Amino acid sequence: MTLLTEATDIFAAEKRSGRCLVAFAAKRQPLGSGLFGSDQVRRLKTLLQALRAEGWLMSVRAMFEPNASAEPYVFDTGFAHEMDMVGAFEAPSLSAALAGTVRLEQAGWARRFATEWLLGPREFSTVQGRGALTDHSWGFLALWEWNDAWSAATKAERRAYDEECDVAFKGDVALGINIAGRHRLDWASPWHHAGLWEASSLGSVDLAMQGHEAAADFKFTTSRHYVGRLRPLADFIEPDPD
Amino acid sequence: MSECIWIHYARPRPHWYGLDAATQAAHEKTWAMAAEASLAAGGSRLGRYHIRGQQDFETVEIWRFPSAEAAFEHWSALTAAAYGELNAFANNIGLAIEGSP
Repeated sequence: MTLLTEATDIFAAEKRSGRCLVAFAAKRQPLGSGLFGSDQVRRLKTLLQALRAEGWLMSVRAMFEPNASAEPYVFDTGFAHEMDMVGAFEAPSLSAALAGTVRLEQAGWARRFATEWLLGPREFSTVQGRGALTDHSWGFLALWEWNDAWSAATKAERRAYDEECDVAFKGDVALGINIAGRHRLDWASPWHHAGLWEASSLGSVDLAMQGHEAAADFKFTTSRHYVGRLRPLADFIEPDPD
Repeated sequence: MSECIWIHYARPRPHWYGLDAATQAAHEKTWAMAAEASLAAGGSRLGRYHIRGQQDFETVEIWRFPSAEAAFEHWSALTAAAYGELNAFANNIGLAIEGSP
């Protein structure tokens, strides 16, 4: 795989593993009574356990600590976004990832959620935030595409831009933000990349964004950002009351 | 691994129109070679269609690939040859619905 952009001080290119991000932005759908009940919940929970047994990682945290927790965790985004939750798993392969989205949809996910699935291989390794913060109660999903200005820029201009953005990423890390590397989405999405963060607060994400604005990060990209509070996926797939 | 459909929307980026005809032709030849390699590797191209009248993209191209990995390899070869820098795009991939004709 050729990288869309080169490694930097902050980001090291990941040795190609074949593993694949399965990120999602999902909105709960209003359903008639009994259409999402204990049967769908049981099937979904059984499937989530099966995916884990097949080698999937079930949260952003698990990308940093593969043995951290078997329980799937997502970020609750409904307070600030149209989407109710965003989250990310990691599958053993691109094929497993794509088939997994269909298995999840068929097990009941499609009834509960309207979902944008975002799949792609890891390009850059995880970057641990500075300090000993154990509070990862907030998460952030960034989706972006390189715009026409980036596409028309010279290699030297892009390199200078990457170096400027690296200053902002160093600021993120100094805020204790953990960056789950970077994944490539462009083969199967209008988006080119996904970035996933863990943060201790909404305030630290906001401060980080100010740093990226100061570094003119967004002159070469069109981006969409989601911010949310860490929450078990199970909270979102409880059966509707009869 | 399962067969996939791969749908590719594209339009030239603005600076494409500033390239001279020989440079454009050289790029198109490189991309055609990448497509030939994907065909030799088991992909099949269903066609490339003009959709500018109905869409903000200019063309849609539809492929079948033997696996998601094969679709990725096809796209990776194109982007390595500056395809994405000269074309705006949106891609999608899908598995065949079980039991569909």
